[in-house]
Amino acid sequence: MKINQKDVASGILLVLVAAIGAYLNMDHALGSARRMGPGYMPLLVFMIQGGIGALVLLIGLFNGPDPLARWSGVDTKSLVAALIGGSIAWLIVARVGGEFFASGYNGMGFGMLIGFFIMCWAEGWRLMGFVCASLCVFALLLEKGGLVLATVGTVVVASLADVQHHRKPLGVAGLTIFLVALCWWIFIKQLDIRVAVWPQF
Amino acid sequence: METLLANLGHGFIVAFSFQNLLFALIGALIGTAIGVLPGIGPVATISLLLPITFGQPATTAIIMLAGIYYGAQYGGSTTAILLNLPGEISSVVTTLEGYKMARNGRAGAALATSALGSFFAGTIATILVAASGPLLTSVALSFGPADYFSLMLLGLIISAVLAQGSVLKSVAMVVLGVALGLVGTDVQTGQQRFTFGVPELSDGIGFVSVAMGMFGIAEIILNLEKPEAREVLSAKVGSLFLTKEEFRRAVPSVLRGTVLGSVLGILPGGGAALAAFGAYMLERKVSKGRHLFGQGAIEGVAGPEAANNAAAQTSFIPLLTLGIPANAVMALMVGALIIQGIQPGPRMVEAQPDLFWGLIASMWIGNVMLLVINLPMIGMWVKLLQVPYKYLFPSILIFCCIGVYSLNNNVFDVYQTILFAIFGVICNKLKMEPAPLLIGFVLGPMMEEHLRRAMLLSRGDPTVFLERPISASMLAIGAVVLGAMLLPNLRKGKDAALSG
Repeated sequence: MKINQKDVASGILLVLVAAIGAYLNMDHALGSARRMGPGYMPLLVFMIQGGIGALVLLIGLFNGPDPLARWSGVDTKSLVAALIGGSIAWLIVARVGGEFFASGYNGMGFGMLIGFFIMCWAEGWRLMGFVCASLCVFALLLEKGGLVLATVGTVVVASLADVQHHRKPLGVAGLTIFLVALCWWIFIKQLDIRVAVWPQF
Repeated sequence: METLLANLGHGFIVAFSFQNLLFALIGALIGTAIGVLPGIGPVATISLLLPITFGQPATTAIIMLAGIYYGAQYGGSTTAILLNLPGEISSVVTTLEGYKMARNGRAGAALATSALGSFFAGTIATILVAASGPLLTSVALSFGPADYFSLMLLGLIISAVLAQGSVLKSVAMVVLGVALGLVGTDVQTGQQRFTFGVPELSDGIGFVSVAMGMFGIAEIILNLEKPEAREVLSAKVGSLFLTKEEFRRAVPSVLRGTVLGSVLGILPGGGAALAAFGAYMLERKVSKGRHLFGQGAIEGVAGPEAANNAAAQTSFIPLLTLGIPANAVMALMVGALIIQGIQPGPRMVEAQPDLFWGLIASMWIGNVMLLVINLPMIGMWVKLLQVPYKYLFPSILIFCCIGVYSLNNNVFDVYQTILFAIFGVICNKLKMEPAPLLIGFVLGPMMEEHLRRAMLLSRGDPTVFLERPISASMLAIGAVVLGAMLLPNLRKGKDAALSG
């Protein structure tokens, strides 16, 4: 028996999503075939998805081998640490972080940011961690910090993802200045999107 | 015929307005740029630029987005020929003969063939869109809800079958896309479905977030994982002029490529990549220079390049006449139209003549512009190729961020994009194709509406889908297509065709 790990994992993912969806769908009235309620189509979709998922899983048991990328102990540890650390950070800032973190999605965003940084501990997650963290930085900084600060933060954090930048901080600085100017010109000057340019207090 | 000319005339008046010309040019320029740059494709770019188009009238917006799509076909071949690296998936096969030509010192000739071939194919395909549009539309107007449902189902099936990799997993991705499309307010009862009390989700999951996350950001993460293999070229472009002999060999290939590309472009799930590969296979079998393949045969550049551009144009046909996207880029166009308040479908020709005919006219104008952009200005694009990815990716990221945010002026969309980026990376690791998901996501809500309407009309009798001739034939074709993929030989052929 040659297991195709990729297909088995895909199958499990599909079945899992279908099961969760079908469970959540129990809140919705099914209606009849003639007058379908809001739950009819979802049930249909999740049933099909679950069926196909099971099929993918079953076939995956035989059509391998196609192993998943190697998953080291550090990968698991950092993922767990990121989930826990991120959640704790969210809970803490939402309580004591003042008005900013209590409103909107800022508390959650901060938790995600911490989580992504913790993920960078493992080499396998590092690229994804830094790229996603840079997006979090943008979301956190934009409304209060303004476009300039958000751009600087995003570009600097994103640059951490590429080792080539580590030795050349001047290149990153130049890129940052260039992008701040370019974004200001395109989005503020030309398109006039309604965003603050400088920090708001 | 006369009405066609009158309509086209009207289209040219629309397309020649200063604003539309400007945006067609911007689209063509951006398209060429992203075509030249490996690692960023039209899907990501168009989703990136969607928010920017909100301020423009619908016609202008679509003209620009269309320019990006076919512009990318022109630009992609430049990289393929000069660097042996496809700028777009659709130019994968151009590397085979084009790069060989460049090494033989005929880079200029290869570039010229590709641009002229694309231009010719684009012209023919544009005429085809103009002629078939109104015709198909009148057929489509007799479609009932059941027919629409079956047609969309067929579209989903074909797009899954033609996607790369396992058919079963692609079908699963389509279904997953449909499932994602369920999130939001149920149109008929107003009930919230799967929103978890998040107000931002009541309008459904942001379509730009899905596209940008899975195609834009995920792509960046995956590109970063690969070491940069882009050695800066030293190849000289050389003379752009073809010799008489080359010209004579290229012409029939361009003609064949145009026909094949036009047909494959209309198929749901087809599009430029499939067309280019089909044309390459055809040329290798039937062209006069087939014995020269592998040593830089001009036929191997002319055919695929004509085909991918023809397909890029004709893939607009199902969108403009039936409102059904043939590929992921067209799914984005549907999104763009809906955001503009236009329901894509057979009524568009009547209700939005400016949009329909203006777009067609602008496609031709765009092709003229691209000819100029790509041939005399080739040096500029070669320079662009020398920008290293380490500077490129933070720039793309910041544009993505601002683009997503400005959609609703809400940071929720940025977080949502992050989740889809992670999901996109997972899908890539599991060899699950994102393109069918996007098509399912766009078509899902429409399918639900047509399904409910059809069942209401038939009083709950599902046989309506088999009783109506149009619907029944769509379902039959779908079943045949799915069944055919079970045949091992066909499947092998497809795998070979799509893996390039």
